[in-house]
Amino acid sequence: MGNYMTMVAAQDAAALEEVKNEVTPTLPFKAPEPMSGAQALMEALIAEGTEVIFGYPGGAIMPTYDALFDYMDRLDHILVRHEQGAGHAAQGYARTSGKPGVCLVTSGPGGTNLVTPIADAIIDCTPLVCIIGQVKSTLLGTDAFQETDIIGVTTPVCKWNYQITNPDEVPEVMAKAFYIAKSGKPGPVVIDFTRDAQISKMTKEYQYKKLDGLFSYKPRIVPKDEHLEKAAQLINNAKKPYILFGHGVLISEAMEELKAFAEKTDIPCASTLLGLSAMPIDHPNYVGWLGMHGNYGPNVLTNQADVIIAIGMRFDDRVTGDATKYIKQAKVVHIEIDPSEIDKIIKADAPVVGDAKEVLKRLLPLVKANNHSTWRNEFKKYDVIENQKVTERELKPEGEIKMAEVVRMLSQKTNGEACIIADVGQHQMIAARYYQFKNPHSYIASGGLGTMGFAIPASFGAKKGAPDREVVAFIGDGCFQMTIQELGTIAQSGLAVKLVILNNNYLGMVRQWQQLFFEKRYSFVELQNPDFVTIAKGFGIAGHTCSDRENLSDSLDTLLKSDKAYLLEVIVEKEENVFPMVPSGASVTDIRLD
Amino acid sequence: MTTYTICIFTENTFGLLNKITIIFTRRRVNIESLTVSETERKGVSRYTITIKHDKREEVEKLVRQIRKVIEVLAVFGYLDDEIVYNEIALFKIATPSGGKPIDIETINKVYKAWVVYWGLDYVVIEKAGNENEILDFFRYIKSYGILEFVKSGRVAVGKAPNGLVEFLPEEAHWEYYV
Repeated sequence: MGNYMTMVAAQDAAALEEVKNEVTPTLPFKAPEPMSGAQALMEALIAEGTEVIFGYPGGAIMPTYDALFDYMDRLDHILVRHEQGAGHAAQGYARTSGKPGVCLVTSGPGGTNLVTPIADAIIDCTPLVCIIGQVKSTLLGTDAFQETDIIGVTTPVCKWNYQITNPDEVPEVMAKAFYIAKSGKPGPVVIDFTRDAQISKMTKEYQYKKLDGLFSYKPRIVPKDEHLEKAAQLINNAKKPYILFGHGVLISEAMEELKAFAEKTDIPCASTLLGLSAMPIDHPNYVGWLGMHGNYGPNVLTNQADVIIAIGMRFDDRVTGDATKYIKQAKVVHIEIDPSEIDKIIKADAPVVGDAKEVLKRLLPLVKANNHSTWRNEFKKYDVIENQKVTERELKPEGEIKMAEVVRMLSQKTNGEACIIADVGQHQMIAARYYQFKNPHSYIASGGLGTMGFAIPASFGAKKGAPDREVVAFIGDGCFQMTIQELGTIAQSGLAVKLVILNNNYLGMVRQWQQLFFEKRYSFVELQNPDFVTIAKGFGIAGHTCSDRENLSDSLDTLLKSDKAYLLEVIVEKEENVFPMVPSGASVTDIRLD
Repeated sequence: MTTYTICIFTENTFGLLNKITIIFTRRRVNIESLTVSETERKGVSRYTITIKHDKREEVEKLVRQIRKVIEVLAVFGYLDDEIVYNEIALFKIATPSGGKPIDIETINKVYKAWVVYWGLDYVVIEKAGNENEILDFFRYIKSYGILEFVKSGRVAVGKAPNGLVEFLPEEAHWEYYV
């Protein structure tokens, strides 16, 4: 006699199996559990190819963070130390990866802390999708805990914003958000996501459809033929044509098209600050960069060219100086994706609205092959003067270490191939002047808004977007202390960014202005700095200080050889000034060399 | 200073009024009048905004900035001679017993205004017309004692032979009102 209980159990099991086999195929299709708003958001992020979220949790966004827990294997998340860090990191990521950076923060202070990066991203055309928690929709307008009208706050500084109060809206709104963020002139979008919409279930099946246009918004990519013809005519008849290119070339990945265009027409090309690295510095048509601290020839000669071809740039006041004395002699071809930029600052004789890549591709067969070597040589004459008066002086190994030496030495050691992040101020200009860029997407800085504190978060964001590249950030001692807490994020995320503090114990750019334009009345610009290396060590990041020229080369080697994040503090000359300089409100022709 | 009338067609979504007005305030342009209404196409709103400005090119820039708002479908800027425009005003006039009687004939025939409500000791007169016509009537009726006066913003249609909705994006499949 066998074990009765076992027998029964076996029988039951068999019976059960039988029933299962019989019933399972005929079971009616069971609809999947409806998704919550937060889950739908996760699915939408994955559908848009999001790899990483930069964020910081809090009350109103907790349901979304709870959903993220289940998506950890598919969505990476970097926990920053302050929401501003999340925003700038997402900007750095977007600038190296070309994809929209995604931020996830909570309501109230979480959202308001993100406002600076949003304002930075709109002016520098960086695609961001910022998801901000919001109080329950029933509490809207009641001054609930951590309630801020984030739609109202962000409207002036974002490309588009929307408040989601119903989970059913999530797929459609997210598709719109990503399309708007990355199309046309890219920019930040804000999604204000109420807590109840995150929690509650969708009433319809989740379906996601990526967008490639909206009724009310579909930027022109392909230019009009008549615009191209008019532009080509001006270019072909020009004696002294001059290309000014900007960030638009990098955004539309038009580097090769620009090169081909410049080579065929033999036109000299100068870059704006954010256009840097779109053309390799050793290209024969590349003459330097424009603007307040740009190169001598490129600035002065804008007022001698007869045709200006502006590509993906917007004639910022830092580029034009006094706009009433800017390129008055020249006809202007303005290639721009955003029609509102046409005639905004400088009247265009031949506007071409379209994507820089498409425009240059279509313009190429319409322009004549030409030789402008005499005109191009004009630039070289100015280069000689600039070299004698500025560059040689700044690179001369004499006295205290100069910022320029550090940047140039690092440029040589990295063969001009590193991705340079700069903060805001003198070191930003010096990094732009002395790093010899070879590859595109290699100069990432806050251009339009000039946000101090940009570099630390942007550096690890950039590294996340381009993990195989060497990412080096040049940061001033003032800037470093604005987002110093993000050292913690670097340590925790293990992203191997190299930070270089160029320490002159001053808010150097302000001090320079006070020296030059305010009779050396140094009003609150000297800093009592902490021991940066000890602070970094406290965060778990190795580093050292270099104050002697003899150690500079070895110090940079140590920095570059480290396989982890590393901080190098270089003590530089206290009262170094950045030249050339177009004084604020002066014409580019009045550029100063000392 | 020249008066410009800006007609804006938008999707009918939340919070759009704010997105449009901040474009004016940021550039220190004062809005003289503003009217928002539905259009002959469902889901499309029409804003009519009047401003005074002395530089035409600045107004053109403003128009392009408005077009940049994602939900905006089309923007048109007009001078007064390019449009047919009107406003509507309501006057609440005291008619106490024993007071000066209002002259309905003059109101109707000279000023093309109508009494739209008879109260016990007041009337409400509606006057439609352009700013000057309304001002003229205001001057006339003032002596009767104005209890309340209110005036709408300008509404305007272009003098061009076609309708402005024809300029809206072609892809839009807006439902027409019957």
